[in-house]
Amino acid sequence: MSALLDIEDLRVTFGGTAAVRGISLTVEKGETHCLVGESGCGKSVTSLAVMGLLAKGGKREAARLSFAGEDIREYNEKQMSRLRGDRMAMIFQEPMTSLNPAYTVGSQMTEVLRRHRGTPRAQAVDRAVELLTRVGITAPGLRLGQFPHQLSGGLRQRVMIAMALMCDPELLIADEPTTALDVTVQAQILRLLAELQKDLGLGILLITHDLGIVARVADRVSVMYAGKVVESAPTAELFRAPRHPYTRGLLSCVPVPGKVKRDEPLGSIPGVVPRIPPGFIGCAFRDRCGFAEAACAADIPRRNVGPAHEALCILPEGARA
Amino acid sequence: MSVPAIEVRGLRREFRASQGLFAAPRRVIAVDDVNFSVPAGSVLGVVGESGCGKTTLARMILGLMEPSAGEVLVDGKRLEGMDRRARARLIQPVFQDPFSSLNPRRRVRDIIAMPLVAQGDVTTSEVDRRVAESLERVGLSTEQGTRFPSQLSGGQRQRVAIARALVLRPRIVVCDEPTSALDVSVQAQILNLLAELRRDLGLTYLFISHNLAVVEHVASEVAVMYLGRIVEKRESEALFRDPRHPYTRALLDSVLTPEPGLGVPDVGLGDIMPDPANIPSGCRFHPRCPACFAPCAATTPRLTTLEDGLVECHLAG
Repeated sequence: MSALLDIEDLRVTFGGTAAVRGISLTVEKGETHCLVGESGCGKSVTSLAVMGLLAKGGKREAARLSFAGEDIREYNEKQMSRLRGDRMAMIFQEPMTSLNPAYTVGSQMTEVLRRHRGTPRAQAVDRAVELLTRVGITAPGLRLGQFPHQLSGGLRQRVMIAMALMCDPELLIADEPTTALDVTVQAQILRLLAELQKDLGLGILLITHDLGIVARVADRVSVMYAGKVVESAPTAELFRAPRHPYTRGLLSCVPVPGKVKRDEPLGSIPGVVPRIPPGFIGCAFRDRCGFAEAACAADIPRRNVGPAHEALCILPEGARA
Repeated sequence: MSVPAIEVRGLRREFRASQGLFAAPRRVIAVDDVNFSVPAGSVLGVVGESGCGKTTLARMILGLMEPSAGEVLVDGKRLEGMDRRARARLIQPVFQDPFSSLNPRRRVRDIIAMPLVAQGDVTTSEVDRRVAESLERVGLSTEQGTRFPSQLSGGQRQRVAIARALVLRPRIVVCDEPTSALDVSVQAQILNLLAELRRDLGLTYLFISHNLAVVEHVASEVAVMYLGRIVEKRESEALFRDPRHPYTRALLDSVLTPEPGLGVPDVGLGDIMPDPANIPSGCRFHPRCPACFAPCAATTPRLTTLEDGLVECHLAG
């Protein structure tokens, strides 16, 4: 059986910048695949490219880009917009900017259903009430008549999730869905997503910079750096045996409560993320890597380094950061 | 005993939030009778959810906002009525967003020089020398000093903000979410830099963050704020090992550590969100508290002194 979302060798360029340089990943039904990386690594561009929402000037190429077995590479704007919000839904980081401030919650939620399915208004309202209740919003009737600015951040994100579920999507693309929220609310939202996934069999592509979230919710992880997936593995495997020096560096940067030693420096990665021109060859991390050698400037083959575990690095097994 | 770097007595701040043209404004109590002192050379971490009053507290300590009641003493001197220039020499801020806290039209070295120039009686060569010293302290090159903020990365901009805070050689730095806008690898660099500066220059920090792991890493003592009050204040190590207030416990349980297989915890706070314009009776945390019992809704809990700090909860009485 083919995966719900199957991406192979996806490339995105914006003029003189290669934002995504050939990434491959799959999301199965009922699976959470986390795409993790720092700002500028291309993770959001990847999700926008999948949904056909690249900004002007962005060019997309892929060897394969299929959704539920259908090749969506040649879909035109009309076909894509029929898919988006329907079988393929998305939630973004800042619910305040992705909700329209001039319309009530109710009219925005029902519009999804009326537009995609032609559902009559009364039925669409019933569905909205049902989903607001499902995402843990009390007094849904009241919320439907409110405007986004009248809701707290946590409530807005719940509304976004409810709205994304209006048409029973098969795939949910969530781009930093809890980054703007308090830790307490973040835990609630992530629990909600996990619960919904179990009940509805959603496939989730979750984009985040937070390794704590990755560890707790992902089935599979792809670590992105400078437009490439540098390491990909099942979650437990990645945290047990990270292989790429960038992954290891990233893990050492995170202060872990209960395990930090005060007055002892945290691990950090020297330098900054480079800008990659099209046609760049070799490992993009080599300038910041403590193990770099001459061979890192040549093409790096993808290697199997463990069970379902791949890394884009020439370091021999056993080398430790 | 030496004079505390920061001392806060009965500090309170109210706002009137307009509700529209004809509605009566709502009274919001952002900070409600807060007391603490920070010994020189130590780091007090302040944590809490958004809207708990931590930034209002910071602004009053910086003298950027008048308290409605109570007073702030910095280095033993009352902040109220203190000359702005004298205040700037004592206490300096580092804010969250290095994209909006730096003037985009000025070069880095001019941004760093600004507090010094504002002092008035400093020669140009002295300014140049001090700016160079500050740049070097935070790990920026002279060449980077000639650039504009837009030409720097987020981490470099936050270094500029720190250099600007240090140029007057203050005793105290108030850091309000200094790493929240940064990537983890850059966050680690900035935290390490702040720790190094504190050791080398003997600085005192008031360190505000919503990230508990970051606070545990830097703070010697931690205050937990909830709806304008400090509900628990303990030595850092004790707080993280054995939190006494149910709210502190819930905050700690919400932190997602990078340990696979544990799933996302249910911290049992329910769906009620705290609203500073509508503070509950009795213990202000009781509507969300998983351990709420009879007296909580009716009686305000008293502050209980522990061996290593304070907690305001009926369970600790």
